[in-house]
Amino acid sequence: MREGGKSVDINQLIVFTLEEQEYGIDISYTKEIVRIPSITKIPDMPAFMEGVINLRGKVIPVINLKKKFAFAQSEKGMDDRLLILDLEGINLGIIVDDVSEVVKINEQAIEKLSKEIATIGGNSVNGIAKIDQRLILLLNALELKHEILILR
Amino acid sequence: MVNVNDLSTLKILAEVQANLISGGSIFLCFDGDTTITWKKASDAFDMDIFSVGSKLGNDSIVHRAIVEKRTLTVKVPRSLYGTRLMTVAIPIVNEEGDAVGAFSIVFPRLHPVAAAFDNFAPILAEMFSEGVFLYITDLQKFIHRQGSKTFDLPEQVGDELKESDIALNSIKTKKMSFKEVDASVHGIPVLIVNYPLFDEDNKDEIVGTFGIVIPKKTATQLRNMSRNLDNGLSGISSAIEQLAASASQIHANEQELNKDIKGIISLSDEIIEVSVFIKEIADETKMLGLNAAIEAARAGDAGRGFGVVAEEIRKLSEQSKSTVPKIKKLTDGIKTNVTIVSEKSGSSLHASQEQAAASEEITTSICLSKS
Repeated sequence: MREGGKSVDINQLIVFTLEEQEYGIDISYTKEIVRIPSITKIPDMPAFMEGVINLRGKVIPVINLKKKFAFAQSEKGMDDRLLILDLEGINLGIIVDDVSEVVKINEQAIEKLSKEIATIGGNSVNGIAKIDQRLILLLNALELKHEILILR
Repeated sequence: MVNVNDLSTLKILAEVQANLISGGSIFLCFDGDTTITWKKASDAFDMDIFSVGSKLGNDSIVHRAIVEKRTLTVKVPRSLYGTRLMTVAIPIVNEEGDAVGAFSIVFPRLHPVAAAFDNFAPILAEMFSEGVFLYITDLQKFIHRQGSKTFDLPEQVGDELKESDIALNSIKTKKMSFKEVDASVHGIPVLIVNYPLFDEDNKDEIVGTFGIVIPKKTATQLRNMSRNLDNGLSGISSAIEQLAASASQIHANEQELNKDIKGIISLSDEIIEVSVFIKEIADETKMLGLNAAIEAARAGDAGRGFGVVAEEIRKLSEQSKSTVPKIKKLTDGIKTNVTIVSEKSGSSLHASQEQAAASEEITTSICLSKS
C-alpha cells in the first residue's frame, strides 16, 4: 500500500479543502485532526512555516499550505483545522480550511498527472481523483515532506 | 235747567245727536217721579235697564237733579250697571220754576285705547310679518278684536273670558302678563302679551286689558332646529369620544403588540444562539468521527468495523450541522416577517395617535360650537 512517493495504490483518502478546492491525502499518512491551537512562531523561517505547536507534549511544526502553494491569503475561518500528518516518523501539521470526509476510492478513479505537466511545477500533487462530478487533487505526502524538510 | 216748553225741541235735537256721538249715547226724559217717559238710544250703545216706564230710585242722580234743581254730571262705576257710564241729568222746570222732571244723557265711558282700537288695530295688525291678533277685554269679556290676513283667532266680541285667558291674570295682578302657548292650542306656537288698562281718572282701578297674540312659528322652528342641531352635535360629540376611546385602545394594543414583537425577535435570537451551539457540537462530533476513521484506518483490518462506526458518526454530525442553516433560515424568516409586522404596527400606532388627536380636535370644536 505504501510503496514510495509516486504510489497511487490507495483506498482511503482524507478529504480537506483549501480555498474551495478539494484535496485528498492517503489516510495512512494522517494521524489526527485538531482545532488550531496557539502557534509558537520560530524566527528566520520561510513564510509558509507558521511555527510549532505543543500537541500533548510533542512539538510539531505547522505549515501553511496556502502560503506554500502561493494562494491568495484568506481570513482564518470558523472551520479551519490542523491536520496532523505522520510522514514516515516525522509529524507535521498542515492548516486546512475544513476537513470534510473520509472517502474510499478505486484505483480506476484516479488519474495521474502526466510527467510533462508534473514537471512544470512542484511535485506536491501527483494525481486527481474523480468522484461523480468532484475532482479531488491528490497530495503527495512524501514529496511534501521531501520539499519542505529535505530540500531545504 | 230746561224749560218744559223747550222739551220738544230738545227731543228733536236728541234724535239726531244720539248716533252722532262717538261711542253712542242714550237720551232720556223723566217725570217728577223719576219714571222714564221718553227715550232715544243710539245704534251703537243702548241699555235695556233704561226703557220707557222704568222708574229709577231716590238715590239716582236724576232724583238728586230734580230735588236739587241743578244739572249734575256723574261718572257711574261699572258696579252699578255693568258698564262704565257718564251720566248727565238736567232738571226740567215749568213756568212757575218747579222741577217737574229731568232730561238725561247717558254715555258709555270708553278707555282711550279701546276708543282708538278700531283706528289703530287694523293698521298694526298688518305690521307683523307672521300676522297678529289684537284684542281688548273689559273685566269679563272680549269687547274688541282684530285679526290679520295671515293669522286670526276664533274669539269674538262678547265672548266671555275663560280661566285660561291671561287677561284674567293681568286683571288680578294689575301687571303686564305674557304666556307662550305651544302649537297644541292654536295650531302654531304663539306668544300672548296682555296689558292692563286703567281708569283714566283713577290709576288704581283696572277697567280692562289690551292683548296681542303673536305667532312664533319661525322663532320656534329656529329654536327647534337649533335644539336638533345641538342634539346632533351632542351625538356626534359622543360618537367621536367613543372613537377617541377606541383609538387610544388601539394605541395601547399596538404598543402591546410592539412589545410582543420585540419579544419574538429576542426569542429568535436565542434560537440562533442555541443553533450555534448545535453547530459547535456537530463540528466537534465530525472531528471525532474523522479522527476515529483515521484511527480505524491505521489499525488496518482490525479497525474496519470501527471505521464503519466512525463514518456513521461523521454522517450524523453532517446531518445535525445541516439543520443549523435551516434553523437559521427559519429564524431569519421569522425575524423578517416580525419586522414587517413591527413596521406595520408602528405605522398603525402612528395612525392611531393621529386619529386620537384628530378626534380630540373635532370634539373640542363641537364643544365650542355648542357653547
